[in-house]
Amino acid sequence: MSATQHDFEVLSCGQAAQDVWHMSIHSEVAAELEPGQFVNIHVPGDGAHILRVPLSFSHADSKNGVVELYFAVVGEGTQRLAAMAPGDRSTLVGPCGVGWKLPARQGRALLVAGGIGLPPIVAAARMLVSAGIGFDAVVGAQTSDKHVEDLLDCLRTLCKDEGCDCARKVVLTTDNGTRGIAGFTTQAMEGLLAENPYACVYTCGPHPMMAGVAHLAKGSGIACQASLEAMMGCGFGACSCCNVALKGGGYALCCSDGPVFDAEEVAW
Amino acid sequence: MVSTVNMAVNLGGIAMRNPINTASGTFGNGMQFEGFYDVGATLGAITCKGVAAEPWDGNPAPRLAELGGAAIMNSVGLQNPGVRGFVERYGTYLQGLSDRGCAVICQVAGHSLEEYEQAMDLFEELAPFAAGFEINISCPNIAAGGAAMGATPASAAEVMRAIRPRTKRPVVVKMAPHDVAEIGRALEAEGADALSLINTIPGMAIDVRTRRSRLARPTAGVSGPAIHAIAVRMVWECAQAVSIPLCGIGGVASWEDAAEMILAGATAVSVGTANLYDPTCAVRVVEGLEAWASQQGVSKIGELVGAFEA
Repeated sequence: MSATQHDFEVLSCGQAAQDVWHMSIHSEVAAELEPGQFVNIHVPGDGAHILRVPLSFSHADSKNGVVELYFAVVGEGTQRLAAMAPGDRSTLVGPCGVGWKLPARQGRALLVAGGIGLPPIVAAARMLVSAGIGFDAVVGAQTSDKHVEDLLDCLRTLCKDEGCDCARKVVLTTDNGTRGIAGFTTQAMEGLLAENPYACVYTCGPHPMMAGVAHLAKGSGIACQASLEAMMGCGFGACSCCNVALKGGGYALCCSDGPVFDAEEVAW
Repeated sequence: MVSTVNMAVNLGGIAMRNPINTASGTFGNGMQFEGFYDVGATLGAITCKGVAAEPWDGNPAPRLAELGGAAIMNSVGLQNPGVRGFVERYGTYLQGLSDRGCAVICQVAGHSLEEYEQAMDLFEELAPFAAGFEINISCPNIAAGGAAMGATPASAAEVMRAIRPRTKRPVVVKMAPHDVAEIGRALEAEGADALSLINTIPGMAIDVRTRRSRLARPTAGVSGPAIHAIAVRMVWECAQAVSIPLCGIGGVASWEDAAEMILAGATAVSVGTANLYDPTCAVRVVEGLEAWASQQGVSKIGELVGAFEA
């Protein structure tokens, strides 16, 4: 399904954690979105900032047309986005990009999310559970206040759906040790890798974190998919601004070749 | 609205059903917009992304910054698959556009005179779908060639002299945003069929915390609505200096912007950066332009070209 422009209406918008906001929108695009894709949102109210804001989602419900967006408020565009109220309308471009793929090998998956990389990881978890694939997850944040409780609940519920011991499976970390393991997600990942055989790794988070995750996965001979982020002009492959350096030389476009890449292809 | 205005224009031998074209680098190769509207049935022309004889990787990331003030800055550096790769990937689609009455303009890029010649020869041989060619002598984002080739009347003329004998199809030259009258005259004298202007305006954006450029390279090209007034002035200056037709480019985001370009002397008008953030912009520009021409009481849109009253 190629990207097109859709209208959307804000159903709810509120703070979900420190610097993180949750916005539910109603849009026809919900029926077309696949896990790991993204939408590119026009935030009304400021002609000076012209580019759309690309956002990943944790869930797109095709039945009721609702898309759950979570975003970090990091700049002018996301500040205006956070100020949108129920009933406000605008347009989005989507579905954008290539999302997560189901694993080629049978077996348990390991999901590693850092910061605002969590929403697409929750979308990956839903996809895996729908396909009958179990997972463990590592979720990292800088501090306890930055963990998004709603999304952690989603992951735990998905674990329950699978009928397993969920407490063991969603491992939290914080950089400052205020919640879960003190340290980076990669440290928690090393522990899990030592104890469990995984068939595949799915990761989204800060670039250095994903580089570390990709390195560990490769070291264990496990396939790894990573959802990358880049400054984007259009979001649908028209401007070539969001380049991702490839290991074999040259560049791919984050918006249309990704945002999900085989970690082996990326020049980390 | 059923209009009686004839919207067709001729850009130096490139027949267009209406004056609206797309600026190279902002429209992919057309295909990316098919989800938004029927490109072949809507636009007068599209100008494809610049292509060189051999593939180019383009510049490292980051290539883009949002500047505020209705402007962005890019430094893509003409990432392209080379003429053969381009024709292989997009040739069938572009032939389809051409068959449906949307003129396809292929943009020719190079680092040196020889590379322009090689790219031109390959295009001439492999791109029957091209209604004409745009020679990019104004890209600000490559280390050699590009803007350097179009920096002076003499260097611009040299490129045109090399290209002219290599194709009988119309040649448009994409100009940098400076000395447009002098350089335009030099290009006309060497047989250019039309001129397109302006390319992005070289600028800088510095992250004051890190003291580094916000893009991978120190300078990059500024585009967007913020540069529109500058572009209109340059089209007007160039139109006074040459008698070949012009394609006006620069911050066009509405039919009013396109109408200004036409009044200033542009026969055709390209929508550029607006394609990125408002992908259906060109459709509304085509519709609005037709309504405007009708209100102006002309029978042909061409009657409004250069109709600005100073």
